[in-house]
Amino acid sequence: MTDLRLDATQLDRYSRHVIMDEVGPEGQKRLLEGSVLVVGAGGLGSPAIQYLAAAGVGRIGIVDDDVVERSNLQRQIVHGDGDVGRPKVDSAADYVAALNPDVDVETNELRLTADNVGNLVADYDVVLDASDNFATRYLLNDHCVLTETPLSHGAIYRFEGQVTTFTNERTGEDDPPCYRCIFPEAPEPGTVPDCATTGVLGVLPGTVGCIQATEVVKYLLGKGDPLEGRLLMYDAMDMSFEEVPVRPNPDCPVCGDDPEIESVSDVAYEGTCEISAD
Amino acid sequence: MEIDLRFFATFREAVGQKEHTREFGGDVTVGEVLATLESEYEGLEGQLLSDGAIRGQLSVLKNGRDVTHMEGPETELEDGDVVSVFPPVAGGCDGR
Repeated sequence: MTDLRLDATQLDRYSRHVIMDEVGPEGQKRLLEGSVLVVGAGGLGSPAIQYLAAAGVGRIGIVDDDVVERSNLQRQIVHGDGDVGRPKVDSAADYVAALNPDVDVETNELRLTADNVGNLVADYDVVLDASDNFATRYLLNDHCVLTETPLSHGAIYRFEGQVTTFTNERTGEDDPPCYRCIFPEAPEPGTVPDCATTGVLGVLPGTVGCIQATEVVKYLLGKGDPLEGRLLMYDAMDMSFEEVPVRPNPDCPVCGDDPEIESVSDVAYEGTCEISAD
Repeated sequence: MEIDLRFFATFREAVGQKEHTREFGGDVTVGEVLATLESEYEGLEGQLLSDGAIRGQLSVLKNGRDVTHMEGPETELEDGDVVSVFPPVAGGCDGR
């Protein structure tokens, strides 16, 4: 760790962190030196970016190729009415700049692909998957498994959320599971209706994205127990949380005993994310 | 015997309810329960099984545990067991 001292303004800004033994000035320095790549600046990414920035995570990368639409504003709270039509990465970066000058934002107005995922993820401590499609989710999972990069997973559907953490720390003994251990393949294109068709409760991604931000902050602090090996299922209608134990699958195509996927270029991500036939 | 069935996300919509209890005559396996559901609900047809195996696009739990780590579709059920069926969800307006 470099010699990073908290100045008087920072001691004030982060005083409610610093006063806790679990964080303290050392923990706050960890956050300020930490880096997170947030993939998606939508419903999940909005609260995640806001809380990570407020917490003083020093470098936040944001990946998104969309522009803000008015129908986003019911849940994508990092954007405002005046941002309609602007790139989401720019709108989110402006929000962070106004909130906390300690945070450097790196904007990437593009879609994650097998070709660019390596360069985009390489310089970050942890990845937060706030994406809106299965191609990106499986690509991120596979890349993070192969590079042993920690990954926070959150996803939503109407009134339900799924959230978990994959540390991807593999030593060959008691290794953790990955997303493909739960769902080896993505649904067939066209079989899962999107939220423009089914709707989504606006506050739902707020809850899930905040849990993801919590996990990332804990990871950077090196404190607490990660939501690993547990898929947290949230039902907003019942206001219930249910944990499903997740174990590594020996037959997992990317982290199993004899994995088929050795590179993200092996996989056709625009289909069901199976290994490519060619 | 009675099996408690629980559905999540898209499967919940296909079935039209979160959970219900269904009577099965005699011994039954997870695969047989899934095949029954596919035949009873139009929206589940072809969504749960592929050549008798549980499709890679869903997770099936027996009493909260993934049957992948049991006997898969051959996992035997007992009276009162809870079978949960849930898909991956993407999270946005490009959900495919």
